[in-house]
Amino acid sequence: MGTMLSFKEVTKIYPGAEHIKAINELSFDLEDGEICTLVGPSGCGKSTAMKMVNRLIPMTSGKILIDGQNIDRLNTIELRRGIGYVIQNIGLFPNMTIGENIAIIPKMKGWDEGRIKERVETLLDIVNLPAEEYIDRYPRELSGGQQQRIGVARGMAIDPPVMLMDEPFGAIDPINRDHLQNEFLKIQAKLKKTIVFVTHDIDEAIKMGDKVCLLKDGKLVQFASPEKMLTEPANDFVRDFVGGDRTLKRLNLLTIRTAIRPDPPVVLETEKSATAGTIMTETGAKHLITVDSEGRLTGYIDHEALKKDGETVEQIKCETEAFLPDTSSLKDGLSEIFSHDLEFLIVLDDSKRVIGTLYTDDIKKILRG
Amino acid sequence: MTSNFLTTFFRKFVPALVAIVIVLWLYKYYGALEYTLKNLAEFFRLIYEHLILVIISMAAAIAVGITLGVIMTRKALEGISPVIMAVVNVWQSVPSLGVIALAYGILPLLGMSGIGIVPALIALFMHAVAPIVRNTYAGVESVSSDVIESATGMGMTQKQILFDIEIPNAMPVIMGGVRTSTAIIVGTAPLAFLIGGGGLGFWIFTGIALVDMGIMLAGAVPVALLAMFVDYLLAMLEKVVVSKGIQADQYA
Ligand SMILES: Nc1ncnc2c1ncn2[C@@H]1O[C@H](COP(=O)(O)OP(=O)(O)OP(=O)(O)O)[C@@H](O)[C@H]1O
Ligand SMILES: [Mg+2]
Repeated sequence: MGTMLSFKEVTKIYPGAEHIKAINELSFDLEDGEICTLVGPSGCGKSTAMKMVNRLIPMTSGKILIDGQNIDRLNTIELRRGIGYVIQNIGLFPNMTIGENIAIIPKMKGWDEGRIKERVETLLDIVNLPAEEYIDRYPRELSGGQQQRIGVARGMAIDPPVMLMDEPFGAIDPINRDHLQNEFLKIQAKLKKTIVFVTHDIDEAIKMGDKVCLLKDGKLVQFASPEKMLTEPANDFVRDFVGGDRTLKRLNLLTIRTAIRPDPPVVLETEKSATAGTIMTETGAKHLITVDSEGRLTGYIDHEALKKDGETVEQIKCETEAFLPDTSSLKDGLSEIFSHDLEFLIVLDDSKRVIGTLYTDDIKKILRG
Repeated sequence: MTSNFLTTFFRKFVPALVAIVIVLWLYKYYGALEYTLKNLAEFFRLIYEHLILVIISMAAAIAVGITLGVIMTRKALEGISPVIMAVVNVWQSVPSLGVIALAYGILPLLGMSGIGIVPALIALFMHAVAPIVRNTYAGVESVSSDVIESATGMGMTQKQILFDIEIPNAMPVIMGGVRTSTAIIVGTAPLAFLIGGGGLGFWIFTGIALVDMGIMLAGAVPVALLAMFVDYLLAMLEKVVVSKGIQADQYA
């Protein structure tokens, strides 16, 4: 860890528009492996800020450092080849196959054929487009979403530590966008690139960003984690921009883990039914979660179940679908609770072991802060 | 696959075949074949002169036209390119005979002969270069700015962008210009005879002067077949130089 990308009082004045600072003394630091979403109203300078990083737009004053190096000291071509670049309209080269598109920078860097081929296949695998099927196709033979994924793959071709993405999912319908966002976050969890991600959609900014950088008229209004931006908006502009449903947005952002109630009332399914009855009377719990010897969820019992004949818990337990993994969002959790009219939700870890429960009361407490 | 092949076959080859059969029948009927066989040596000389006219002016037009068209798309010339294009457009509207006449009239003013193969070549070249310049310019200009931006942002040099991205993506339009200008050259080449440029125009104009269909067709039919053959060659060439990713008839 450490700072990977920093803006130091960067200012941009376009020639011919001398009275406007398209970017006005912008400063922020981005840690290695973080996604920073640049967001703000149209014309606020998001694209300008981003394109100064690879010098597509020359800055007027200030400094940009990548991994401590002033980008002005680097050769433009070398600088750009070290930064992944993905734009809204993708810009795949129509005259080249998917494989050639991805291979273009590795080729220019003089990689040998074998290494290039291997890299292209790995990348296609990462973006979930099987190489055998896609490598020899042309861009026009792909759907918009698939082209976008190729755009991302091409941007990552030489495994650059820093990537710039200008509204990469802007041209994609909402359902596929959500899907691509999730997929991209999964990829990012593995690859840990430092990414500047431009979007005009605050929901996307909050979802994708480790840091959100909100701009207005070229000025930084707030630079903070999404959670912080939602709970502590710097001023009315931020409050308005993130919207009146700030609280609900936080539900989307927070995982169930943050509101989990530990020490759930569990009973081993090999226990005697009577034991379960005793536990319920003693603890006053209306439900007991039943687990196997590994602690994995198998079902639940309530007072109705206790009336059934059966020697062991296993014989009297009921099936349940009232569970979610702890990595789900609070929004999903709440939605599950409401739609099935549950008293609580059972929370599981990766291996389906019961680790706690989720109550609406706890969610309220979290949101109140 | 098969049905696809059959459609192409009926749409393209059958009409061409019919045309060739008709032309060859006229050729025989009016005694052009006989005349040609009798004057075989001259026939070969005229074909040779004709091919020289077509090939040299074509090659020059392609080389100069593409180069000029590309240069006009460069940033430094942004201001004057529209002016050059306007001139090119006006120039292109001058009829073939007019261009030949101009060469005949103007070259002597420049201290060159207005008669012979060189003025003929200059006239054909001048006539054919316009569509290529125009299409090259338009083709390169029309390459999507997103494509150029991502190429630049990825770290491709100007030269790499020109040769790997801009020209290949402009190729369908450039080839359109090349085909237009070839058609013009093949069609105009017989007129070269009028200013002493030689070629099959000799028989055509002789035939006309003598009101002898045989001699006229002995010159005209090879010219027509040559036009078809050259167009076919260019269609083949187009398949080779235009990437499959942007070939127009892929889904036609
Ligand atoms: N080449 C240019 N010349 C002059 N002014 C420019 C130029 N490019 C952008 N601007 C101005 O700079 C400001 C910032 O533009 P920029 O493209 O960075 O905005 P943006 O936040 O990306 O907007 P959008 O969300 O609409 O893409 C705008 O006011 C714009 O008009
Ligand atoms: Mg923008």
